[in-house]
Amino acid sequence: MEVSFSKEIESLALGAGDTFHGEGILAITKALLQSGVAYVGGYQGAPISHLLDVMVQAKPYMDELGVHVEACANEASAAAMLGASIHYPLRGAVTWKSIVGTNVASDALSNLSSPGVTGGALIVVGEDYGEGASVIQERTQAYALKSTMCLLDPRPDLPVMVNMVEHGFRLSEASNMPCILELRIRACHVRGSFETKDNVRPAISTRALMENPATFDYMRLAHPPVTFRHEKLKSEQRIPAARKYIADNHLNELMPGKHDDLGVIVQGGLYNSLQRSMQQLGLADAFGESDIPLLVLNVTYPLVPEQIADFCAGKRAVIVVEEGQPEYIEQEIATLLRRRDIQTKLHGKDVLQAAGELSVEIMSQGLSLFASSYLPGPATETAKAWLAGNRERREAVARMLEKPLPIRPPGFCIGCPERPVFSALKLTQAEIGPVHIAGDIGCHAFATFEPFSMGHSILGYGMSLASRAGVSPMMQRRTLAVMGDGGFWHNGLLTGVQSALFNNDDAVLLIFKNGYTSATGTQDIISTPGDSQKDDEHDKTRSLTHTNITIEKTLQGLGVKWLRTVHTYNVEKVRETLKAAFTSDFNGLKVIVAEGECQLERQRRIKPWLASLLKKGKRVVRVKYGVDEDVCNGDHACIRLSGCPTLTIKDNPDPLKVDPVAVVIDGCVGCGLCGENAHAATLCPSFYRAEVIQNPKWHERLVAGLRGAVVRALQPA
Amino acid sequence: MNQLRPISLLICALGGEGGGVLTEWLVDIARHAGYAAQSTSIPGVAQRTGATTYYIEVFPVPIAALNGKRPVFSLNPVPGALDAIVSSELLETTRQISNGMSTPQRTMVITSSSRTLTTQERTQLADGRADSDDLRKIVSAFSREHRVFDMAAMAKEAGTVVSAVMLGAVASSGVFPFAREDYEAVVKAGGKSAEASLRGFARAFDVCQAAPAPALDNDDAAAEAAASPVNPVIASRFPAPVQAMASLGHARAREYQDQRYADLYLQRLQAVLDAERIADASATQNFSTTREMARWLALWMAFDDIVRVADLKSRASRWSRVKGEVKAGADDLLRVYDHFKPGIPEFAALAPPALAASLIRWDRQRVAKGKSPWALPLKIGTHSVAGMLALRTLASLKWLRVRGNRFATEQAMIDKWLAAVTAGTARDWRLGHEIALCGRLIKGYGATNERGKENLLHVIDHLAQLPSAADAATAIAAAREAALADDAGTALDAALVRHGAPARPVKEQPIRFMRRPATQGKT
Repeated sequence: MEVSFSKEIESLALGAGDTFHGEGILAITKALLQSGVAYVGGYQGAPISHLLDVMVQAKPYMDELGVHVEACANEASAAAMLGASIHYPLRGAVTWKSIVGTNVASDALSNLSSPGVTGGALIVVGEDYGEGASVIQERTQAYALKSTMCLLDPRPDLPVMVNMVEHGFRLSEASNMPCILELRIRACHVRGSFETKDNVRPAISTRALMENPATFDYMRLAHPPVTFRHEKLKSEQRIPAARKYIADNHLNELMPGKHDDLGVIVQGGLYNSLQRSMQQLGLADAFGESDIPLLVLNVTYPLVPEQIADFCAGKRAVIVVEEGQPEYIEQEIATLLRRRDIQTKLHGKDVLQAAGELSVEIMSQGLSLFASSYLPGPATETAKAWLAGNRERREAVARMLEKPLPIRPPGFCIGCPERPVFSALKLTQAEIGPVHIAGDIGCHAFATFEPFSMGHSILGYGMSLASRAGVSPMMQRRTLAVMGDGGFWHNGLLTGVQSALFNNDDAVLLIFKNGYTSATGTQDIISTPGDSQKDDEHDKTRSLTHTNITIEKTLQGLGVKWLRTVHTYNVEKVRETLKAAFTSDFNGLKVIVAEGECQLERQRRIKPWLASLLKKGKRVVRVKYGVDEDVCNGDHACIRLSGCPTLTIKDNPDPLKVDPVAVVIDGCVGCGLCGENAHAATLCPSFYRAEVIQNPKWHERLVAGLRGAVVRALQPA
Repeated sequence: MNQLRPISLLICALGGEGGGVLTEWLVDIARHAGYAAQSTSIPGVAQRTGATTYYIEVFPVPIAALNGKRPVFSLNPVPGALDAIVSSELLETTRQISNGMSTPQRTMVITSSSRTLTTQERTQLADGRADSDDLRKIVSAFSREHRVFDMAAMAKEAGTVVSAVMLGAVASSGVFPFAREDYEAVVKAGGKSAEASLRGFARAFDVCQAAPAPALDNDDAAAEAAASPVNPVIASRFPAPVQAMASLGHARAREYQDQRYADLYLQRLQAVLDAERIADASATQNFSTTREMARWLALWMAFDDIVRVADLKSRASRWSRVKGEVKAGADDLLRVYDHFKPGIPEFAALAPPALAASLIRWDRQRVAKGKSPWALPLKIGTHSVAGMLALRTLASLKWLRVRGNRFATEQAMIDKWLAAVTAGTARDWRLGHEIALCGRLIKGYGATNERGKENLLHVIDHLAQLPSAADAATAIAAAREAALADDAGTALDAALVRHGAPARPVKEQPIRFMRRPATQGKT
């Protein structure tokens, strides 16, 4: 990747007495090093990409510490990496986006949790839940429960988060359980500070290698019959050990309050929202001094029954503030209270919203009901008025708006090489009729938004080809599966291509070869153009994906017979190729590799290069497209075929005309799609391509001067 | 209970606009000034243009005065409990207000007046843009105080990014207890782009100090139309409300073809005026049918063809406009390539009817056989001698245009529409007016143009004839709106049927459905 993390890498090297300032996820990264981690792996995805990106770029420093860093092929391979901690006293950490990543990793996680670990194993997951999340509405808690892994949910304060990483490793070692540390999106991106410690070099490391493998030990295998013994160990030894560690080290925080007969039990990650909510209800001050006692669960699994019982006993009522459904924690507490015959009233999802994120406002709606019942008074009424005011204002704005505001989902970047393929696909379908399109995870999923609105299903990363396996035998027409190169390597090669070949399926697969896993922040993959190609290329503006043909070779090696590679910006060619695939007599798997380098990466490479050329007074050609405002017909068919952010509309300068005209605004990178679409779709003739030559050669100037004189003589005003 | 609370600011930006940089600045500035602060965000990943928000809280008492106590900050912006919103895009500002974020009691709203249009707004067939005036009304109705100015333009002028401008506006608002020097010190430490950032910062700072929100913009196009000179002939023949538009139309017809054609334009318009004078003798409607007709008639009469396009593309004024648009410097060379793809219909347009018919028949047979229609994709270098010669040659074919097949067809359709307008006006002023406004459906080239004409004729044939003139007028208005809703005409057909007219006839379209071979299986 072309982004530099030099500043972040510097903060990883801070030592005792220094102060770290920065984002939560980077603080976690630093905490791993302070904990003596020996190996780190993971798979990118918001909001934890940063952890791995920074570590991968900091490889020289990691080598110095003896820490091994691996950018894994997917979450399953990252989880399997933790197998190192089964036999060896190695602290290992892996990271991914949950719940999707945890789903992918779950096989290895089950088989890791069964024998248990010797060295501390920590899984840092970005809990992508609620507002801004890009994935399904599930929680990591379920995995912790089913596989018996500890789940840390630290309150989003940098010193606490860092502390919980250090405890996480020790907890894992004390209990032999792998630990998950979950961070919600806003916690990953929270900016704060903490006092750093020196990094700890692992005792066994890439610089201090083990001499011998461990002796054979059947107990360390997740294989019957010892798996039955493992199950007993989980309940008889590991969970009790974990509970003891959690209680002894006060991982969960008890905060007193004057209303001793009430209590709130809260997931650590929700602590700040709870505090603000209590402030709104007049039950806490700005420094976290609460009127109601709090039990903050920085570890949400396993719970410590004595701790919960002690907290609840003798109170009129307790409310469990837990996000999402089912309410695992609340249910466990209910069982626990019932068994111990503690008569404290238990509230939670009876007043709190079951679905979605507990934002301050949503939480306050539930808490105000709790407060009304147990602490009625003017403060509660003020809070209720605030909530009612919010509702009224929303309704008032809606009344003032003629129609709902148009949405603004993320979309393809300016000049994205994937956009032209969907233009071509739109044109192809106009010719041969609509096709079933199996979509996938990745930038190309933006085609599900306007102006393309394409994609019938998204079943998982790299799963598009597999997800049409039941559709295509049932349909007269051929189906299309769309996949990115990221998805191809993550999963698609095996679940899709191999399976389709083995079953001799008649299918069409289009692979976007843009060279990176772009949607997660342009991480490198095995088919990324090499550094030497980037350095040697004399024209750095060119797409370089064609220099790496690992995908094509792999497909050929696997036995794909019908394989075409097209450059995405050539819309006409893409359309012809799609048509050929849909109408071919060949009944096996047909693969189209649509290549064009990620424009983000290209621009990051191009910009400094061009700037350096201009500085040296060298010749530079800049391309921009434009629309002649007096020729444009104001129908905007071009935009419906492209959607590029720089192809927009403006007031019609012609006083006779009323509809706005298309305009190409600053930011156009001259990708050429406008011209290609104008030709492929026979759009109106208003598009032009302008090439601005800076620092032209002397002979160019001469020719242009002569030519200009003639052209000017021909032109009317 | 301690009544102190953090100061809260919500930042709205679009992906790639530097909202993250702005947030980082603010946290650093707070630290520089000695205050506790926390920020967080829901950024997009690498994707551009999606809406994103950032959120920051600052405690109003310096850390030194807190006796070691640490405030607890929220990670969520709290609707109705925000001190300020700063936003680089007007619609996004309004979105947050519509989410209940801002209150007239507490929230200061600083927003750019500039719009980055959403895809939904850009893809409409007519004009789908949200009305900025409406959005600004919401900003002023639901804020304690507001500052509205064009941040995008200011950033451009200062040669910096919008985040620097936003920072200047935040500094100027006084929402945080930091001195201007605190802000500037942190920006200065930002390395090579610091100077430009400071320029943007200072401009926004000054503008916000000075500003009550500027008055809403006037309708420039209307002002321009009113200001254009009136032709004396038109002044003598047409009432004042029509004159400006008719003068423009008359000039367009003359420029498009010749004086005779311009005279024909006036003659046609006169017919509408005569009808309107009878239907609305006291001119209560201010001659608005004739005025609208002056617009749409001129545009239809000056229909776009290759002669017209070649003429527009080869003018000196066009060259200098492009030069400005692409920001070519004085020492730079400019090459301009124009994309054309004329097909058989474009050439047949200039051919006499018999030849045109056989050309089109040939092309249809091609398509029926499964080939694509014949077309000639061209990339003409307008900067080159050959390219310019080619365009000027085409532009000189005005004499051929009037002898061509298309010219005759267009005139016949114009006359049919004109007759419908006058006849409709005679029945009911409103009916004539609605038919006149249907001129909006006629625009563009090729298939777009064909579609518009077919829709218009269908509306005239079926809706204008409804027994009740009032019903007909209502139906036509609805059909016109519907025709601009989607290019497949789904909404139009629905509207037609709803008003008792038949849907448009199904058109033969050469879709080649591909079928999977029936026999297959493992070999």
